Amino acid sequence: MVLVLALGDLHIPHRAPDLPAKFKSMLVPGKIQHVICTGNLCIKEVHEYLKTVCPDLHITRGEYDEDSRYPDTKTLTIGQFKLGVCHGHQVIPWGDLDSLAMLQRQLDVDILVTGHTHQFTAYKHEAGVVINPGSATGAFSSVTYDVNPSFVLMDIDGLRVVVYVYELIDGEVKVDKIDFKKTTTPTNLPH
Amino acid sequence: MISDGVVEDEEKWLSAGIAGLQQNAFYMHRALDSNNLKDALKYSAQMLSELRTSRLSPHKYYELYMRAFDELRKLEIFFKEETGRGCSIVELYELVQHAGNILPRLYLLCTVGSVYIKSKEAPAKDVLKDLVEMCRGIQHPLRGLFLRSYLSQVSRDKLPDIGSEYEGDADTVMDAVEFVLQNFTEMNKLWVRMQHQGPAREKDKRGKERGELRDLVGKNLHVLSQIEGVDLEMYKEIVLPRVLEQVVNCKDELAQYYLMDCIIQVFPDEYHLQTLETLLNACPQLQASVDVETVLSRLMERLSNYAASGSEVLPEFFQVEAFAKLNNAIGKVIEAQENMPIAGVVTLYASLLKFTLQVHPDRLDYIDQILGACVKKLSGREKLDESKATKQIVALLSAPLEKYKDIDTALNLSNYPRIMECLNDGTHKEMANVIVQNIMKNKTCISTAEKVDALFELIKGLIRDLDGDTHDELDEDFIEEQNSVARLIQMLHSDDPEEMLKVIQTVRKHILTGGRKRHPYTVPPLIFSSLKLVRRLERQDESVSGDEVSTTPKKIFQLVTQTIEALTSIPVPELALGLYLQCAEAANDCDLEPVAYEFFTQAYILYEEEITDSKTQVTSIHLIIGTLQRMHVFGVENRDALTHKATGYSAKLLKKPDQCRAVYACSHLFWLDDHDSIRDGERVLLCLKRSLRIANAVQQMANATRGSSGSALLFIEILNKYLYFYEKGVSQITVESIQDLIKLIRNEMQGDASPSDPAADAFLASTLLYIQFQKDKGGAVGDKYMLITD
Amino acid sequence: MNFIVGAFKPACHISVAFSDGKNRKQIPIKKDNGQATTVPLFHSQDNITGTIIVEPVSGKKVEHNGIKVELLGQIEMYFNKGNFYDFTSLVRELDVPGEIYERKTFQFEFSTVEMPYETYNGVNVRLRYVLKVTISRGYGGSITHFQDFVVWNYTPPPSINNSIKMEVGIEDCLHIEFEYNKSKYHLKDVIIGKIYFLLVRIKIKNMDLEIRRRESTGSGSNTHVETETLAKFELMDGAPVRGESIPIRLFLSPYELTPTCRNINNKFSVKYYLNLVLVDEEDRRYFKQQEITIYRIGETS
Repeated sequence: MVLVLALGDLHIPHRAPDLPAKFKSMLVPGKIQHVICTGNLCIKEVHEYLKTVCPDLHITRGEYDEDSRYPDTKTLTIGQFKLGVCHGHQVIPWGDLDSLAMLQRQLDVDILVTGHTHQFTAYKHEAGVVINPGSATGAFSSVTYDVNPSFVLMDIDGLRVVVYVYELIDGEVKVDKIDFKKTTTPTNLPH
Repeated sequence: MISDGVVEDEEKWLSAGIAGLQQNAFYMHRALDSNNLKDALKYSAQMLSELRTSRLSPHKYYELYMRAFDELRKLEIFFKEETGRGCSIVELYELVQHAGNILPRLYLLCTVGSVYIKSKEAPAKDVLKDLVEMCRGIQHPLRGLFLRSYLSQVSRDKLPDIGSEYEGDADTVMDAVEFVLQNFTEMNKLWVRMQHQGPAREKDKRGKERGELRDLVGKNLHVLSQIEGVDLEMYKEIVLPRVLEQVVNCKDELAQYYLMDCIIQVFPDEYHLQTLETLLNACPQLQASVDVETVLSRLMERLSNYAASGSEVLPEFFQVEAFAKLNNAIGKVIEAQENMPIAGVVTLYASLLKFTLQVHPDRLDYIDQILGACVKKLSGREKLDESKATKQIVALLSAPLEKYKDIDTALNLSNYPRIMECLNDGTHKEMANVIVQNIMKNKTCISTAEKVDALFELIKGLIRDLDGDTHDELDEDFIEEQNSVARLIQMLHSDDPEEMLKVIQTVRKHILTGGRKRHPYTVPPLIFSSLKLVRRLERQDESVSGDEVSTTPKKIFQLVTQTIEALTSIPVPELALGLYLQCAEAANDCDLEPVAYEFFTQAYILYEEEITDSKTQVTSIHLIIGTLQRMHVFGVENRDALTHKATGYSAKLLKKPDQCRAVYACSHLFWLDDHDSIRDGERVLLCLKRSLRIANAVQQMANATRGSSGSALLFIEILNKYLYFYEKGVSQITVESIQDLIKLIRNEMQGDASPSDPAADAFLASTLLYIQFQKDKGGAVGDKYMLITD
Repeated sequence: MNFIVGAFKPACHISVAFSDGKNRKQIPIKKDNGQATTVPLFHSQDNITGTIIVEPVSGKKVEHNGIKVELLGQIEMYFNKGNFYDFTSLVRELDVPGEIYERKTFQFEFSTVEMPYETYNGVNVRLRYVLKVTISRGYGGSITHFQDFVVWNYTPPPSINNSIKMEVGIEDCLHIEFEYNKSKYHLKDVIIGKIYFLLVRIKIKNMDLEIRRRESTGSGSNTHVETETLAKFELMDGAPVRGESIPIRLFLSPYELTPTCRNINNKFSVKYYLNLVLVDEEDRRYFKQQEITIYRIGETS
């Protein structure tokens, strides 16, 4: 069982002062094996905080990130799954699932983690899953009204991944979960 | 070195003393074993003579004394047994007084005295009185202190206290107290006398030696506190006045400081409360060099802790008017000691403040009064520089924040900002940071413009350059500071939009004074606050008929425009661009077409004039296209103008692959799902074709410069876009064009000149797989895809 | 004529026994030959009675011109050794001239003897009481035997016994006020008092109280004075400051004191003084001497 934390769009300090206290108390160091961050932290302190939660940290660049050295996209393999990360402001139309699916095909990953819209989505299609963990701080978004703070925890176990989404609604943390099973890797079709 | 020699000598003398003591003790033991009283007295007196030495420092003397003490315990047992063997205690009491040398005589007398009291043949008070009187014979400070300490030790459990077996008549407790007070007074006199012995150059050494002995004197106070019979009445009427009399009259700095502190620590807090005035009145009478600030601080600390122990004790505080007395006393002390360092003054007030916060948390007027007194003392001086003082001031100002957890309360204290004025720049910033951290930690929400104004005035050191501040480098501390301010801005919120606008205007007023280096940090949060307000208003509009409302989105946008302008003078154009686009989207949501257009204009101007770095250009293009794609407020003309520009920018990006991608992204500008009027298949195809051409050009360039064709990735991306629009039903996207494209891609990838490209392979594979999936779906989609054969 | 007195063994053995000797307190004394022994204690106006046994040595009969016993009170000045002055002399005839050929016991009695002075052993003078038995012989020398006894006289507690209180000092240096609770002390008394420091400008190391006995013998230009310090009692250790009051409690019993006697028979006086001594850091001594009277108090009073 491998735990992967996916979060992003914190927009600290431009749009939010800090992670919600209830989230902070849940993110205990040492419990999570990997952290994926879609971008827009925006400042160094947030990067350092995330590092304390788990040193294996993967970040892609959001348009407001202070550190311009983060890559635009990133791929990594965890267990049987290939994951791809991209902030998403580069994929137009923003939030368009088909366009995101295209990026997923391009990166050739089973799970694409992307952000920018500040809205949690988990979209399953034949070739894989597109997950948007939303904004961990509930930051203002021009795309989405009424942003609730949210983040995602993926439990990767063999060919199965359980996606837990944690949302802070009216001061309470609500959890939902979605199951995905990966079919065996398809062989390449002949050219 | 002389001191080494002295130390060596002392070791020698100590060893000699111990040897002499042990030898006589040996003979004494023999006498004890054979019940030989005469010899016991003889050898014990000789043994005790070792304590007559003048050659040892207090530390070494103590070692010798402890050995003698142990031997005297055995002697005491022998004396007790002797009285059982026919020698009367009275005789024994007299016998020991025959010793020629006074010091041994008195040690023996105290030892017999102990047995005497235990025998109960005379009232304890009489024996004790005699002993404490006779000890006057030792006027030598060190020897006298130890002798009296011995007396204290052997008498400790034999005081005629109430409930003890030695209890006497009606005045028994008084007798016990009198004895201890006497011993204490004499011991203190001796202790103080040590200061004036010896050459002036050894003053420090003497001070240190006296420090080693202080507990001998303080112990008496401890004994007093343990006497059961000493109730509040007796403490108030007799014990405290007598002790204070000695403390004040001895006029010795070391003694006064130690004993005042001892009194405070040793006696119960209830007593201190009830004798507060007496205790405090002693303070101005102490020597000027005594650190009375620390004494008073420790007193207040104790009382604070007492107050914190439970709410049932608080009425006591009110009843004795503790605050008034302490406040008064502090005033008097400060007045009396003109040269008190400012750190001391602030320490006093800080302690009083903490005390007041504990005892009278609701009395803001008291708190303000204390701060006011501080201001009086601080104003007219140079701005505080000394670190001890500044530390205390920060503690002073932090205390109300910590207690009330609500910056509101601090803002209501009229003297709070006045003290901040007295701080030097560094401390001011430190304090401002504390305030900000406090707000963040307690998640305080600040909700009126007035409060915001006051707050920002208070923390002005963070907001703008103070006089003499010439920081031009953006060091880490500065950035952290400004990020805190940014976070702070997020904590400002009012439910009333009118008020919120005022808040925003107030914040704006303050941050604009911050200068160029601060704006990149402080402007964005303000903009977002404003946009949040706009959204709130927008939602409200549906329920409220806003005739009277003076706060409109329009107004806010005006404000926002003016604010973002501030960023243009600094090289952060991409930030400004992003903000303009955010505002454009917000204006879009409010149906304010001209406003939105204006924002876009500003963004475009920035893009054209300021954004030169190619990577930044790409990001900016993405933002422009992405935002524009979502706009629905524009009329045809405006929209056309903007899209035209956008596509133009895309085609002019430096790197061809970037161009290609930007151009095909622009294709989305011409097809909006939810906008019937924006479905221009022609233009879509045009974009895609154009991007194809660019992709081709990329291949050619690769051939020309590297001799091999580049990646087919771009083509595959474009193919995916074709599929996208095909699926959307753009008639201009034909099946043939798709199939042709697929063929093209395959050619590119299979050519000999092409190097293996796993990424392209995989992408093509997954794309084809996607086509297959869509075919398998069946229905309308399936039908469409079925037409694609490969 | 035998000129060497004492070279021969005495012809007679003489012994004296007091009739109530066993009931009396025994006082240790040193005999002329240095031997320590104890003798009974008598008081003035006592009856001194007893028996004297005369026994010829080796059975040889002794011819004599008479046997007598004298009760003598003597003052002996050491610089005039052997010079005895008898201030009291009583005699009892025991036997008329005759012969002693066997043990003979005689009773003697001296009634209500006036013995106004106490036995005293001093440096230069001693006062003793003695019974002297003499067997007179013309030639061959008289045979004598001495039997000491001690006389002590009790005085009642004085009706007036003022305390001694005085202020002394050295200008600008040291001013003290001392006080002793009485001026007359008995032999088992306690000196109680205090020393109060009015002015202290010197660095005092310590303070002692000495008891000194002054024995003066002779008179006029022949007066000879011997002073002995019989007691040295430390009163204070360390340097006091102005206003300190140091207590005195000195028990007289441990010391070998005798009653004050003035002008005993115009021959000698024994007086006692309290000497208060202060020593400073440079070992300079400051002192004040004050005479006290010592008397012997009755056992029961």
